[in-house]
Amino acid sequence: MLLLLPAAAVPAFAITTIVVPTWGIAPPTSYAAVSAGAHAADLVAGLGGLAAGLLAWAEPRTRRLGVLAVAAGALWFAPDWEGWEGGPSIVRSLAAGIAPLLAALLAHLVLVYPTGRLDGRAGRWIAVVLYVAAVTIALGQALVRDPFLDVGCWRDCLTNSFLVHRDPGLASALDDGWAAMRIAAGTAVALVVPTRMLGGSPAARRLLAPALAPACALGGAEIAYGALLLARPVEDPRDTAFLAVFFARSIALAAAAVAITWAVARQRRVRTAVARLAARLGERPAPGTLSGVLAAALGDPQLAVVYQLPDGRYIDAAGMPASGAPAPGRVATPVRRAGREVAVVVHDAALLDESSLEREIGGAARLAVDNERLQAEVFAQVADLRASRARIVEAGDAERRRLERDLHDGAQQRLLALSYDLRLAHASAVRDGNDRVAGTLAAAVEEAVTALGELRDLAHGIYPAILTEAGLGPALATLADTAPLPVGIRQVPDARFSATLETATYVTIAELVDDAVRRGASHASVGLRHHGHELVVSVSDDGMDRRAAPIHVVDRVGALGGAVRVKGTSARAVIPCA
Amino acid sequence: MRVVVADDVMLTREGIVRLLQAASVEVVAEAEDADSLIRHVAVSDPDAAIVDIRMPPTHTDEGIVAAQRIRAEHPDVAVLVLSHYVEPAYALRLLEEHPEKVGYLLKERVFDVAVLVDALRRLADGETVVDPTIVARLVRRKRQDDPLDELTPRERETLELVAEGLSNSAIAMRLFVTQRTVEAHVKQIFLKLGLDANPASHRRVRAVLAYLRSTG
Repeated sequence: MLLLLPAAAVPAFAITTIVVPTWGIAPPTSYAAVSAGAHAADLVAGLGGLAAGLLAWAEPRTRRLGVLAVAAGALWFAPDWEGWEGGPSIVRSLAAGIAPLLAALLAHLVLVYPTGRLDGRAGRWIAVVLYVAAVTIALGQALVRDPFLDVGCWRDCLTNSFLVHRDPGLASALDDGWAAMRIAAGTAVALVVPTRMLGGSPAARRLLAPALAPACALGGAEIAYGALLLARPVEDPRDTAFLAVFFARSIALAAAAVAITWAVARQRRVRTAVARLAARLGERPAPGTLSGVLAAALGDPQLAVVYQLPDGRYIDAAGMPASGAPAPGRVATPVRRAGREVAVVVHDAALLDESSLEREIGGAARLAVDNERLQAEVFAQVADLRASRARIVEAGDAERRRLERDLHDGAQQRLLALSYDLRLAHASAVRDGNDRVAGTLAAAVEEAVTALGELRDLAHGIYPAILTEAGLGPALATLADTAPLPVGIRQVPDARFSATLETATYVTIAELVDDAVRRGASHASVGLRHHGHELVVSVSDDGMDRRAAPIHVVDRVGALGGAVRVKGTSARAVIPCA
Repeated sequence: MRVVVADDVMLTREGIVRLLQAASVEVVAEAEDADSLIRHVAVSDPDAAIVDIRMPPTHTDEGIVAAQRIRAEHPDVAVLVLSHYVEPAYALRLLEEHPEKVGYLLKERVFDVAVLVDALRRLADGETVVDPTIVARLVRRKRQDDPLDELTPRERETLELVAEGLSNSAIAMRLFVTQRTVEAHVKQIFLKLGLDANPASHRRVRAVLAYLRSTG
């Protein structure tokens, strides 16, 4: 049904251009008949509307806009048909009847630009009121206007094929109503775009900008036309004022056609971008490709595609935490598949809604969405695991530090105080000449000193306090002091690092040195370099070849996102640091 | 001799105080943290302060910091830091700026009141005191091509005593040799190890400790 309209518009346009306006008739029965220039302006405006409408019609995402534009282009020619000198009176009467619809149609077109959808209560009301008014006036004119009795008649003064009841008074009042409606519709046309732009986001303003000048011009010309009709009851196409307004309306409509063409071109760009994305699917797009493509295609640089994990958190394509709650002025539109939310697009509120998003993303891009979502989930899981590993190691270290401190502040201090007492008791026993007791107490003091030494070694083994207090340099020097083989230490950076990193580094070196001892080495050499964002630990020795890094070292370094490599008798651990 | 004792653990502090009293050393004040220690030192003008290495608020190295401050502000007051840690790093830090009249001993060392009193007396005389356990550990540290192998057993013994902070005359008494012999040993040791510090200065203790710690 809808396809009939453009199909009919083409022959109608052909007849209009060739047959209908006849120059040189006095008085002229249409503006196009006034002069070659007026004819050209008439054709450019109507043809422009039709052509832009057909273009939009061919593009699925602007089809609704296209329907309206084709209708507007066709209706533009209605007054020419009405003034078809010698044409069938049914055609001329029908043209006269439908002509008033153009003003309402133009307002509708501006209200729905560029998506073709009528958003907002105010917009809907404006459209409904204007259509009702236009239909009422058109019907009224068709039923009661007898052109023969109309003093202002100039296009078709012969017959009205639909006349039911002759009423010149009512017909004249409807004429004034039509003029008033033009003013109302013109006002709407002129104000809608600036109003929508003022209230809209930057992205919405970018979308509406091409329509601003044409809509304002079109509205202004309609207002002028209506005002002129009210001021002068008899419309004369040769009158300078009327002719000027006609040219203004023609140019404005042609400009509006350009704006519609721009909207179509923009939609084409989006489609091409999505098609390119689909083409790239074969090459496994990198994470973030989808949001990049959509952002570029939709002209919203801040557009983000996020995915929800089963636990409710949102992540981006790289698996990093993201916000599913949009900032003010932005909205989160879900992409659903079989009722399940597979992704959320956070974008400018003016750009998309759920159904158009479905269209934008298209069938091919769905694969990209799935692919990216699965990848993002894996990334997020890996990040979670890494964080959890690091937390476990960190908790263990904190526990060891606490144990060391407890030993130092508790058992060691008590044993010490006990020893002081033993020593005092020993001194007094010696003074009293009680040799047996003095001997026992001296032995007890010796025992206490031994116990303190063992306790100190135990505490140091649990956690070397010097590491927290003085850093890796002194801690490694002490490690070398007590190692059962010579340990050469080179290049220890003076800088301090996080407790986690320092502990991991210390433990790594201690374990690798122990390993050297186990493999029968006679000396070991330790190097430590701070290299940009990583700490590089290397331990080499002269023992038997290492088969693999000690598992404890692999776990330690791995927990911090690092790696250990073993080659011959040397091991190298690279640990990322902030 | 008049001393101030600072330790945040009451049991330990009381133990030290009673040991000192038994040895007829006058304890003029007791402190629980570094701030009150500094105040007591300023007010009581003691001969020495005995300071716990770990004190509030952070329980890390408050004792070392307080010792350095006392040495800087009251050059006549000797400071003996007591610690649980066999850590040359702390001793080296302590000797860094004011190498005389400072000591670093393990807490169990002072069970022997004679050792404690001896350390205080040596500090009062301007010597340095470094715990023998620390020195022994450094001297016995495993080394590749150990330069200490070049030393005779007597030189080695002398080196340890130098590192412990003893003066040449104290070493002479300890080893039952003349001071001149000790001077000759020390000179020989410094030559063999390639130490370029002045063998007679206060700073030789730190130089020897740092040397022992750095050679692997």
